[in-house]
Amino acid sequence: MVKRYRNFKELGDTVVLYPDDYINDIEGEKLEDLCANYLDRGFRKIVVDFSETELVNSIGVSILIGVIEKVRERDANIYFSGLKRVNYDIFSIVGLTKHIRIFETEEDALGIGPKTAGQAVL
Amino acid sequence: MSETELSLERLLFNLNTLAELGEEITSPKDFTRVVKSSLYMVMGTFSSSKGAIFQHENGNGSYIPIASKGLGDIGGLRLKLAPETIAELLKRREPVELGGGKDAGFLGAAGETLEKIDAKVLACLTVKDELLGLIAINGKFSGEPFTLYDHQLLSVMSQHISFSLHSHSLLMKLMHKYTENKGLYENLRRIYYDTIHAFAAAIDAKDSYTRGHSHRVSAYSAALAREMGWSNEEVEGIRIAGLLHDIGKITVDKTIINKASPLTSYECRELNSHPVIGYEILSKIKFPWKGIPMMTRNHHEKVDGTGYPDRLRKSEIPIGARIMALVDAFDAMTTDRPYRPKLSFKEAICEVRENWNRQFDPEVIQPFISVIRKEVRREADNPTIVPLLQEELDAVSLNRILEGFPGPRSASRPCRWISRVLKNTCQAIHGWIAELQRLCGLNKNGVFSSSCKRPNQNPRTLREAAHIVR
Ligand SMILES: [Fe+2]
Repeated sequence: MVKRYRNFKELGDTVVLYPDDYINDIEGEKLEDLCANYLDRGFRKIVVDFSETELVNSIGVSILIGVIEKVRERDANIYFSGLKRVNYDIFSIVGLTKHIRIFETEEDALGIGPKTAGQAVL
Repeated sequence: MSETELSLERLLFNLNTLAELGEEITSPKDFTRVVKSSLYMVMGTFSSSKGAIFQHENGNGSYIPIASKGLGDIGGLRLKLAPETIAELLKRREPVELGGGKDAGFLGAAGETLEKIDAKVLACLTVKDELLGLIAINGKFSGEPFTLYDHQLLSVMSQHISFSLHSHSLLMKLMHKYTENKGLYENLRRIYYDTIHAFAAAIDAKDSYTRGHSHRVSAYSAALAREMGWSNEEVEGIRIAGLLHDIGKITVDKTIINKASPLTSYECRELNSHPVIGYEILSKIKFPWKGIPMMTRNHHEKVDGTGYPDRLRKSEIPIGARIMALVDAFDAMTTDRPYRPKLSFKEAICEVRENWNRQFDPEVIQPFISVIRKEVRREADNPTIVPLLQEELDAVSLNRILEGFPGPRSASRPCRWISRVLKNTCQAIHGWIAELQRLCGLNKNGVFSSSCKRPNQNPRTLREAAHIVR
């Protein structure tokens, strides 16, 4: 169960968020609040790295869609990285993979500039 | 992933969601949280970014949001559905697609409201033929259309959520009834107490000298019962009995009650009938507490068997009546009466001591003294007796007054032995005298002449003072 997003990394106007091992209940909504907070503070690029996340269920999907919507509203960019197979499959089922850029690793995601990828992905 | 693989994965994902939804709605979590989680599950399943669950409000066709996501604050939103719209929704039983030229015109004004929140699919939450609520979600994040499979899946999820809504609504109705009944019970209880207090005031009003007597007997009895380890329920019972113990006096002529000169035998008989009349009145009332009629009947009994109306001896007298006999006499002694001024606390205690195991039960006197000691030493949480006395008492003078008072604390072993011998002798003599008095009394009037003996203006013994406790 995901509870707190204890890990994050700030790099210029980019922040990398590391959700906990499960995003499967409404507590996960804190991720949405955290993103909104970074966007308010002027961060333009958000990378969510799922390498520690074992499972995302339907509640987790709705929370991640909320995160994406928030980023869209602010015209910023969001990228996912480090997805395990099971989570990638879930994102495929709900159609997220077609609309968001997903990278193998966090480093790959960070290598993309906001101007080169942002609008194209979302 | 191939299309087949994707379908299989989707099926598994959806089955898993249904299992989780089932678990969620039967969990003991707070209802708001359950509804919110359920909405998120629906939205996650169809990758919707906006959605809300509405619940009917008082069955008047108005539906209010109880959970929402992606819509900001929609607390003030109402979906007003006409009866025919509800009937149509119930008839269709399947999700309704909104907008984009779909046939949703039957929703009327609600359709426009739903359009404002970007709703694309509306599912009913029903139990039997009742529309408990609605789920509205916007289109899929992917932009793909809703398939027949999606409709079926949403229907199944809606059935799960309906169950949760129904259980909660039943629980709320039950809670409402409970709160309503609790309020009614509290009202009844207040009326009950008010009535008893009104009765007590009516009893005391017959005698201008005994104003507040019933309240004091009630308060003293309760304090004493608590000291004796009675339960809260039992203490409440004796408190009520104290308020009503002289209720039989309402049938006694006021002039008899207030008479300053000695009573005639007729007047005496009249007055002494009050415990039995009180018993007859109170035994017809179904009190929630035990023993009130008997405590009333026997509050003029004496442990040596010379009291009235039943001439009971010590353990034959209900313990509540023994408590009331002591506090009733004590209050009578420490307040002014038409035929004599009040005794001081010291004099009253002296009389109690004189009547140790004659009129009063030592098992009751000891805790009574103990309460007074605690109250004077400020060791009692709610001092009751001392504040109602019309004189100041301090620990030093109280010790002096209570010096040598019979009881386990004051007597040493040899003293106790001597006092027991003396006490037994005195009891025997007193018993013979009492028996003689009883016989004489019965031969003349059929009542106890000793009970009616009138005191002098300034009595100095309890035989004078306590017998006038009418
Ligand atoms: Fe009485």
